[in-house]
Order: sequence, then C-alpha cells, then structure tokens
Amino acid sequence: MTLNLRPLLSSLLRSRTGAILVALQITIALAVMVNAVWIVSQRIADIEQPTGIDDDHMFVVAIAGLGSGFDLSSALAQDLAYLRGLPGVVAATATESAPLTGDGQGTQLFLQPGQRGRSAALGVIQTDTQGLRTLGVSLIAGRNFRPNEIQPFSKHSLEQSVPEIIVSRALAQALFPESDALGKVVYDGAGRPMTIIGVTHDFMGPVGLGNPKYQTALYPKTPGEYGAYFLLVRTVPGRLDVLMQTAERHIGASNLDRVIFFAHPLQFYHQRMIAENRNMAIFLSAITAMILAVTCLGIFGLATYNVSARTRQIGTRRAVGARRRDIIAYFMVENAFILCAGVLAGCALALATGYWLSVRYDLPRLDLYYLVGGVLFLWIVGELAAWQPARRAASVAPSVATRTV
Amino acid sequence: MLAYYLRLAATSFRRTPGLTALMVCAIALGIGACIVTLTVYHAMSGNPIWWKNNVLYAVTMDSWDPAQPFDTDRPALAPPQLTYRDATYLMTSSIPKHKAIMTQLLGMLSGAPGQRAPVPVMTRATTGDFFPMFAVPFQFGGGWDAAADRGPQPVIVLSHAENEKLFGGIDSVGRTILWNGRQFRIVGVLADWEPVPRFYDVVNNPFAGPEDAYVPFNWGPALQELPAGPSSGWGSQPVQSYQDFINDEDVWIEMWVELPTAASRARMLAFMNSYWAAQRKDGRFQRPLNNHLTNVGDWLQVNHVVNDDNSILLRLAFAFLAVCLINTVGILLAKFLRRSSVTGLLRALGASRGQVFCQHLVEVAVIATLGAAVGLLLGVIGLKAVEALYTAASAMDAGSTNYVALTHFDPIGIGWALGLAVLSTVAAGLYPAWAIGRLPPSRYLKSQ
Repeated sequence: MTLNLRPLLSSLLRSRTGAILVALQITIALAVMVNAVWIVSQRIADIEQPTGIDDDHMFVVAIAGLGSGFDLSSALAQDLAYLRGLPGVVAATATESAPLTGDGQGTQLFLQPGQRGRSAALGVIQTDTQGLRTLGVSLIAGRNFRPNEIQPFSKHSLEQSVPEIIVSRALAQALFPESDALGKVVYDGAGRPMTIIGVTHDFMGPVGLGNPKYQTALYPKTPGEYGAYFLLVRTVPGRLDVLMQTAERHIGASNLDRVIFFAHPLQFYHQRMIAENRNMAIFLSAITAMILAVTCLGIFGLATYNVSARTRQIGTRRAVGARRRDIIAYFMVENAFILCAGVLAGCALALATGYWLSVRYDLPRLDLYYLVGGVLFLWIVGELAAWQPARRAASVAPSVATRTV
Repeated sequence: MLAYYLRLAATSFRRTPGLTALMVCAIALGIGACIVTLTVYHAMSGNPIWWKNNVLYAVTMDSWDPAQPFDTDRPALAPPQLTYRDATYLMTSSIPKHKAIMTQLLGMLSGAPGQRAPVPVMTRATTGDFFPMFAVPFQFGGGWDAAADRGPQPVIVLSHAENEKLFGGIDSVGRTILWNGRQFRIVGVLADWEPVPRFYDVVNNPFAGPEDAYVPFNWGPALQELPAGPSSGWGSQPVQSYQDFINDEDVWIEMWVELPTAASRARMLAFMNSYWAAQRKDGRFQRPLNNHLTNVGDWLQVNHVVNDDNSILLRLAFAFLAVCLINTVGILLAKFLRRSSVTGLLRALGASRGQVFCQHLVEVAVIATLGAAVGLLLGVIGLKAVEALYTAASAMDAGSTNYVALTHFDPIGIGWALGLAVLSTVAAGLYPAWAIGRLPPSRYLKSQ
C-alpha cells in the first residue's frame, strides 16, 4: 500500500485550527496523565507499606483518669488482668504510645553520653512482657523483657530511664550500620545508658507512615505520666468486634474515677493513616480519566467532522479507484500526524510539569518509563478514537461523487 | 434582538442535540471539578480573621538546641511554640494591646444536671485576652479578667455545642461544673464559632475545630496538668517532674499578641531582642538571633497549613477545565463552519459582522450558562462525595479533622461557578464567533 502524504498534509494544513485544538488537548492530556500516574504509583507504594504489626486483629482503648484521686496503677493492673483473662484475647498490654494512632512519643538515642556520637530518631512504645505478643512482632535476635525489668509507674519520675530496650532492625541498623546491635549500649538525651537486649523485624511506631517510620523501640515501662493510658489488645481472628464491645462495657463500668476516651480497632488507624494517599490517588485517577475521555471525544469529534465535510471528496476518490482500506489509511494517518504533534509537545510539557512538581512540591523526579508508557498508551487510544469515523468514511459509496449534495 | 438570537440558538441546539449535550457536559465537568477543588482549597487557605491580619502576631524565639535546628528540613525556622520560662516573661510586657499564651489540656467535664458519665473535652488553657483579641463571639456572659488569670480563679467558658450538650442550650452562666474533678464557675458560653483553619494553634491539627472548654492558663501549672498537644524538648537533663518540665527547654506554649501600630511592633521586637540578649549572656539562646512576630496569613503559610496535595489537585482541575474548553472551541468551530452557508445568506441579506458575532456569542453563552448550572450541581455532589470519602476515615474523637467545615459549599462556590462560566464563554466562544463573522459571504453563498 502506498500512501501519498502530500495531499494529506496540504489538506491538514488548510483546515488546521481544528487539528491544532485537538493536538493541544492531547498535549495537556499527556502531561497530566504521565505525572498523575507517576504520583499515584508512589501513593500506592506508600499505601502498601507493611505496618509490621498484626493490626488486623488489634484494638486500642484510650483511658483517662478523672482528677487527682484516680489510682492509675491499680486500675491499669486490673484492666490488664481482666483483658488477659478474656477468652479470645491473645495478649494485652498497656502503653502511652499506641502504634499508628499518631498519638505517642518520639525521642533520640545516641552512641555516646552527652548527646554525642551517631544518633537516630525513633518512636517509642512502652510495654511489658506481653508487648511483643500483643503487637505480633517477632524477635530476630536476643530475648524478650523479664517481669522484673518492667519499670513501675511513678508520679515523681516522669522520664524514667530504662536499662534495657528492644529495638527494630531499622533502628539497630541506623545506630550500628556495620556491626551487630545486640548487647550494645546506647544513651538517651540525658546520657543514661540502655542495653539493647533484643532486635525485632521492622514495625511502625506511633506516627505510622511518617518519619522515623520503621525506627521503633520497645521500652519496658508502665505508662501513666499523663494521667492516661492506652490498652492494646490482640484477639484471635473473627472475635475483635465482640471482644472490643465487651471490654469497653466492662472497663467503663468497673471504675467510675476514669472515662474511656475511645475504643477503636487498630485497623481504623491504619485506614486513617493511608486515607490521604488513597484519596489523592482516587482524585488524581478520576480527573485524569475525565481528561482522557474528553480528549478522546475531541479526537473522535474532529475525525467525524472531517469525514462528513469531505464526503464528496471521498466519493470521488473511491470512484477513481481508491480502495476502502486506502480511505481508512488516509484518515488514520491524518490522525497520526495530529497525535504526533500533540504527543511531541506533550512530552515537553510532561517533563516541564514533572520538573516543576519536583521543585515546587518536593516530589521525586518523573521516571522516564512513565513518559514512554504514556506516549504509547495515548497513541493507541487516540488511534482507536479515530477508527470508527475512518470506517464510516470507507463506507461512502463511489456514487456520492456524482450527486450534488 | 436578544430574544431572536436566543430563538436561533434554540433552533441550533435542536438540530444537533448530541453535540450540544456534549459541550454542556464538558463545560459542566470542568467547572464541577474546579468547584470541588476550589472549595476545599479556599477553606484550607482561608484566613478566618483577615480583618485583623496585620495586627495579630504569633511570637516565636529560637530557644532550640545549639547543635541542630528545630526542623532540620527548614533550619531557618524557630520552633512554633515557646518554653514556659520565655512565654511567662514575654507576658509581662505591657506593649501589646492584647496578649495571650495558650496550650491544650485534656479535661473531663462532669456534674452537669442529669449528666451520668463524665465527658472528655479538649480544653484550651489560655489567658483572658484570648477572647477579645480573636474577636470570639459570646452567646451568654463573657471571658475572664486578669485577676482570674493570676489566681487562677476557677472560671470556665464553654463552647456553644458543649453548652447544648450539657445544659440543653440554656443560659448556664453562673452555674458550676466539674472540670477534672474540680468545681469551676461558668462565666461565658460562646456563640457558634468555627475558625477554619484554627489559625491560633497550627501545631495541633489546624482543621480540628476550636476547643469545647476554656480555662485560665495557670490551671495547667497549678494542677500539674501536662499539655495534651505536642511538646518538644532537647535538654540533656532528665525531666523527672512537672517542675522539671516547665523549667526545662521544652517548648509547648503558643503565644499571640495584638500590636496595632508599626511602632508597637518595633517596640515589642526590641523587648524580645533585649530579653534574648540578657538570656544569651546567661548561657541560653545559643542559636543565631531569630525572634519573630508573624502575622496570621504568613503564620498559616510558614506552617504549611494548606497541604500540597490540595494545591496540586487545584491546578489539575484547571488543566482539566482547559481541556474541556479547548474541546468545546473545536466543536463550536466545526458546528459554526458547517452552518456557514446560512451565515453567508444572513450576511448577504444585510446582517453586519457584529450581528453575526453577537448571534453566535449568544449561542455560546447559553451553552456556557447551562454548563455552569450543571457544573454547580456536579460540584455540590462532588463535595458530598469528598466529604463521605474523608469522614469514612476520620475518628469522631476530639482533635480529628472537621471535614464538614472543609467541604462546606459556600456562596463563594456560586461566585466561582458564575465567574468560570463567564470565563468559559469568553474563552470558548470568542474565537469561533469571530472566525465565523469574518468569513466573506460570497464564498458560502455558492453551492458547497
């Protein structure tokens, strides 16, 4: 099949406004689509980050005391005894800093006393011997806390030091990139020593996705500094809702010196943590899909208009020997020229937008594979949009040429 | 003449209903997307106290660690909060017209008539100037005076919603209620007050809505209540007691001042600088001088209250509207050109270029108006959808984001829709109407 491009180009250039408008739409659509898909892919990667804990089967109860008469230590001990006795509860612990909730403590540890040497930021979760089991976090090395290592709560010592801690692998590597962290001594901001007695696989601390994501430590400590505490409970599968209700009712009624601030499945916080990324991905995808749809309608509309405006011309060509597939090829190639112009300008705009986004919003630079993918995708979709009008053009009968319209 | 043009437009729509619907839909989708993103953006970036923007200032001093900045990503910034020591000293200044320090405390309210269980309320512990300075409206009673701050006297102000909940909305001023187990006298009940964003406290979630109870700041230290919001420290001494906490370099207090004149601003800054210099001699403030008075608008910006995602989405919505409009221009052009024989006839019969231009512009304006109307509807539906999407993932506990306030459809949305409709008419209609009026009539009178 030979195709003479000269008449095609000259007719395209003579009625160029429509073609330019469609090319412009393609340009914007490509730039938006490539960058949107790039951002969405990162958001999805964020959403899919594992929490490292068994949040599907955990719930958290926040409890606050009323006034100064509240005996926090004994209430906390009673609550834990009650929860651990409930059938269906795997493990329970009390903390000041619940994972994924955004409500908790962060600190810094140092290799040398006096805030010197290498340091690392971390999220802290206070816990007792059941902490690891409650979170569903397993040790890679070392051992769990012993009952006598759990520091009791004291009203007169807010920032108690703890002599032993268990750290996540990410924290261990941040502090000791070259050597084994187990058994090493690190120091808190006040210069008090702590020995690393265990290293676990990575899990998220109180801030979840935010920094320092997987740099987390367990402190053997009974909470209470703020007159409030969280109860973390892990249940067997399928029993979470029932057990949460039962626990909430019992704990609420058992001691009127305190109130339950809230009780939520941990999954609720997991959802909330990823909600912003998820919603951004939804909005970006929706608007991008609409831009693509409108652009395809533009391509379709222009091709349809061209076909109907050139009915006589097509008829004449058919009458002098052009085959159906020549007519289809003519329109498809014409469309390809418009796509080509739009896509070329679109590549430039996509790169410029990607650069601007990375500078203005601190996003990672656009991956060029996404640009290549976007060009191919838009090309295929653009040609598909012109396919139906081109088929219709091919069905014009040669006899049309002899009629006056 | 306008009526005639409208009739012509109606005839034209009837001849090509599909194309007309397509154009209306394209404009409607574009405008709808813009309304949704603009409304959320507008609510987030709003300045709820714009009329006092240049008299209200957040006070910051860089008391942080000499070894590293407070925010390692933005080292030029001082911490957004003050230490107890600095805040209480700065409060002794008589330069500001109004001044207030504040923090968030967790409170339990009990003892209201007929109340069975205590209710937890986020409480703002602040000083009496908070209310006049931020123009907080009262339904009943009012705030408290300096004597109540010094005491501290057991006085409390409730929000409108909390008064509804506990007292059924009656004038509860003069009654007593238990706050964390202590008797407090209600001195005021706020009218509906919802500053979005909560400009005076951006350290906690700025979209969480204002607190439900207000007590004098000194109750915090008096009862040794640790703040419920964030506090950050860097000191090398262990914080063993509440006393350690307030004497330490922990920052946990927000401070605002009202300085009506440039002269008073200069004097306040000088006051801060001389305090800084004196403290520096004693070994504190080892970082470079970084004392700031920041007005409300700048404060919201510096603290990134509008998140980047919303600003990206806003720009994306406008790109979408642009594509929709370009699409409409293309369709209109094609449509008008196909009708050019009729237009040629009109011109030959004496219609001026201007008249042809107007006739086509009216047709475009009708499409744009319809598009804007449908777009407005889509915008409202879209906002509901966004609200549903967000509230599904938000806790009902205190301190969580009030998405209803963010997605609240306001008259500004209608204004934007109308503005965008006019803009769309101009953008989409001008060129096709002009191009068609420019055609020489003779060419189109000949048979095609």
